[in-house]
Amino acid sequence: MTTDRVVLSGLIAELILRQLPCGGWAALASSSQPALEPTCFAALALGLFPGDALGRAQEFLLHTQNPNGSWPAFAGDDTDGAWVTSLTVMALHDMVPVIPSRLRGVHWLMSCAGKESNWFWKWKFRTTDRHVRFDPNKFGWPWFPDTVSWVVPTTFAILALNQLPCSCGGLEQVPFRVERGVEMLLDRVCPDGGWNAGNGVVYGVPVAPHPDDTAIALLALREHERHPVVQSSVQYLERIASSLTAPWSVAWAILALAAYGRPIDSLYGSLVALPELPNVNETSTLALVCLALDYQRALSALGVTS
Amino acid sequence: MRLTRRDFLVGSAALAAGASVSVPFLLPKYHIDRRPKRSRVAILQAARYSQELDHTLAAGLRLFSIDVRGKRVVLKPNLVDYAAGDAINTHPVLVLAAAESFRRMGASVVVAEGPGHQRDTELVLSQSGYQESLRDEKVRFVDLNRDELIRTPLRASYMGMKSLWLPRTVLEADFLVSMPKIKTHHWAGVTLSMKNMFGVVPGARYGWPKNILHWKGIQESILDLCATAPVRFVIADGILAMEGNGPLNGTPRPLGKIVLANDPVAADATCARLMGFEPDRILHIREGSRFLGNAAPSLIDQVGETVSAPAEPFQVVPEFRHLRATGVSP
Repeated sequence: MTTDRVVLSGLIAELILRQLPCGGWAALASSSQPALEPTCFAALALGLFPGDALGRAQEFLLHTQNPNGSWPAFAGDDTDGAWVTSLTVMALHDMVPVIPSRLRGVHWLMSCAGKESNWFWKWKFRTTDRHVRFDPNKFGWPWFPDTVSWVVPTTFAILALNQLPCSCGGLEQVPFRVERGVEMLLDRVCPDGGWNAGNGVVYGVPVAPHPDDTAIALLALREHERHPVVQSSVQYLERIASSLTAPWSVAWAILALAAYGRPIDSLYGSLVALPELPNVNETSTLALVCLALDYQRALSALGVTS
Repeated sequence: MRLTRRDFLVGSAALAAGASVSVPFLLPKYHIDRRPKRSRVAILQAARYSQELDHTLAAGLRLFSIDVRGKRVVLKPNLVDYAAGDAINTHPVLVLAAAESFRRMGASVVVAEGPGHQRDTELVLSQSGYQESLRDEKVRFVDLNRDELIRTPLRASYMGMKSLWLPRTVLEADFLVSMPKIKTHHWAGVTLSMKNMFGVVPGARYGWPKNILHWKGIQESILDLCATAPVRFVIADGILAMEGNGPLNGTPRPLGKIVLANDPVAADATCARLMGFEPDRILHIREGSRFLGNAAPSLIDQVGETVSAPAEPFQVVPEFRHLRATGVSP
């Protein structure tokens, strides 16, 4: 067994140890409050090693679905979370019995849009509120309803919707929404490439990109590899990747660069060599490192072709 | 004078517009009055970030009667993002000096923050110099974006929300210390000890940035947060401040001061004066002075240096030029 396989097995074992009795995971190792994002990333990571833990995770996800088809940020929460709904739709992929739940989630996603998609706010952002440079015609998904579109929830929604086998049965608008979402990502890019949360230029001044937001956005734009925005963003990520030391950003960078066929050996090696990986307090990061260490299968689970 | 129909319509429209802006702040929306009879603020001279800050800060804290023996002290710096050479974050040297001082006073200390723009908190910690410093000094850091959450009824209702999910670490703190960077802010005018409380709102529940607070009103959110998670003490980093297009893209501005206070409203009013602003023109300070603390100089015991407006007030984006105090050169 190679070193990276040994590391991966150890991290998966740690992930399983952290699973709560309810089947979910908490955001931090020290916490017992089950949350959806770490559970989805853990379920995706465990999908590489199917077993009892994965089954319990999927049961937890099914039980926490809101009546309207969305999922909340954590068990006991009272609001719909767009990004966790997308993640859950992906985490429940390949399970035939859960198709109705996933479909309800997808329908909810289709009903959810950034506030700038509404004519009134579109008008406001065009006329009186122009400090942040963006085209309100190009909208995606918010973190949760009644706020504007942001890069990460839009990317996760595009990835989830791209996994649908067809756009039929009331989902005819999926291609339109995906296209708008892609346009929104291209519009919100930072001037020199890369993305942050979603504000490329504020008060006429460029805002710096973030490596993780950039990598996440690039995953949704894999089919647009030749677009200049995508190319400059891949270059930005390649440029800064070697300076990254935080596992969350390193893991996302590996997934994105692998998706674009760029060399990742050095980055991969630095991730494996990070000290105390099993002690990473944040469970989403731990799960994401597992996904990055098995990036080919992880990209497949995210519906990204490399 | 005779009013024409046109005058009447124009006047009515102006009145309605004025009312829509000011009425939200005319009606009391707070459930408690936390104003002390008098507040205390100390302005300390500090030219640079160095080990001398240990002594400066320890001496400054002795100007207040603070008893934190056996208490859980939570230091909440302003840690937003990192860009080399910029004055975005509260400097880690000051945060460590505060941690050391409170430890010597017998408290257990944690540093806690939930960055509003950067999702990778560990990256911000490592790039800003916090990670190494905190590890070396064995100070625990809590990522408020991912801490356990408790649904908390709000103790003021400016936002129109009944409750927020807030981090356990903040709610269970015995002594919450807001440690802002003194900066201008393109949406709020200034970001000081009260605006710094945006960082306690968890990204894992409300997203990055915490967009709901912008939609509910930044000034309103500041007031509701400060009413609900009371700041017990302020240590504001004005050694290297920021002016212009803050909080991220402003220009560093050396101010050479640390501001300590036992009242966040008094602290922010004093910082605003040091920036050359009129505190009453900053909505959350003016409204906060009705129930959270004291902004009037007559109610503030000033120790250390005296408050003096700078010869050149801090630069602000055009929307906030009205904050500049009368008599201060433009």
